Amino acid sequence: MPAGHGLRSRTRDLFARPFRKKGPTPLSIYLRTYKIGDYVDVKVNGSIHKGMPHKFYHGRTGRVWNVTKRAIGVEVNKQVGNRIIRKRIHVRVEHVQPSRCHEEILQRIKRNDELKAEAKARGEVISTKRQPKGPQTLASW
Amino acid sequence: MVFVKAQKSKAYFKRFQVKYKRRREGKTDYRARIRLINQDKNKYNTPKYRFVVRFTNQDIIAQIVSASIAGDIVMAAAYARELPRYGLEVGLTNYAAAYCTGLLLARRVLKMLEMDDEYEGNVEATGEDYSVEPAESRRPFRALLDVGLIRTTTGNRVFGALKGALDGGLDVPHSDKRFAGFSKDSKQLDVEVHRKYIYGGHVAAYMTTLMEDEPEKYQSHFSEYIKKGLEPEGLEEMYKKVHAAIRADPTVKKSEKQPPKEHKRYHLKKLTYEERKARLIERLNALNAAGAGDGDEDEDDE
Repeated sequence: MPAGHGLRSRTRDLFARPFRKKGPTPLSIYLRTYKIGDYVDVKVNGSIHKGMPHKFYHGRTGRVWNVTKRAIGVEVNKQVGNRIIRKRIHVRVEHVQPSRCHEEILQRIKRNDELKAEAKARGEVISTKRQPKGPQTLASW
Repeated sequence: MVFVKAQKSKAYFKRFQVKYKRRREGKTDYRARIRLINQDKNKYNTPKYRFVVRFTNQDIIAQIVSASIAGDIVMAAAYARELPRYGLEVGLTNYAAAYCTGLLLARRVLKMLEMDDEYEGNVEATGEDYSVEPAESRRPFRALLDVGLIRTTTGNRVFGALKGALDGGLDVPHSDKRFAGFSKDSKQLDVEVHRKYIYGGHVAAYMTTLMEDEPEKYQSHFSEYIKKGLEPEGLEEMYKKVHAAIRADPTVKKSEKQPPKEHKRYHLKKLTYEERKARLIERLNALNAAGAGDGDEDEDDE
């Protein structure tokens, strides 16, 4: 008999819980709040059977476009043939983590605002632009 | 002969997954906790309050708690140990005391939120099922009953505390199936029986039975009641007074006791590395001196 291509086919290891982390999930997962526009990582928790995304989305990062009672709507990019489609899926909160991909930018924004405020107080004009790493000088060898 | 086969091998320990700490301690039911804490995501940061009732051997603890990632936050708490302040000195863990504690917590919370005038609750405890009606300006304070790990049988004291909170003016979703006096056959709450329990009628009945049949047991069992001069007939009056006193002033009273400047040590202090080394040297010296008089001197530097 052939193998079959059901919804959860080939997910024996992908959806398995990590070693010694089986059983109840930590409660902090349920206490996190998500707002529309946040970046989230989709990571399936195999012990929660409801609201699981398809295995394709495991490991993808997307933005929140909808918040319902127990689930989050996430907008993820998927390449279909020769184009990339923005796909909207709904996922229960147990399968979602806040993403740190955006963290660096948010910190930089905060820092830059502070620097600009300080510079304004001093009366200077500063540039907060990031500079690319230039060619290495002999001194740095 | 030692049975070596029964031991747990190193492999066993390497693979062993411990349960959560509070589960190991047997204090938290995580399955129930998830369901109590889980807030609708489209309500974002709105707190979901639990009305926690726990019984110890000599105390009743009633708290309003909301959960957060850093740890649960207790908004207000009431203990049965505070009831002497309102005139109830004995029987601090019975159904009637649970009612008083629940009532105290409810009035305290409402006073804290300045809702106590709007939501008087049920001033005269009749024992029948009472649910708060929403007033004009604000909706009633809603909390979910958290019983913990107790078996929810009909007539359990947690439901006494629940009734106290309901009559105090809190909105706790419930049914009257588990109140004392609910009859399984008729599927109805017997209001008279419930009212009896709220005012300690069951205790009074036992007191009169013992007084007639076994006076010695009565003396030993209800010695505190006798010392305070409480008669079975006077119990209801006393509880009515306690309820009135609670409604009059439910605010927390700070205790005048100063915290001790130095904490009492309950276990031996752990020695530092130097202290342990020094102790070892002393013991070896003592051994050498006690043993053969001409022992080696090299062992001192161990």
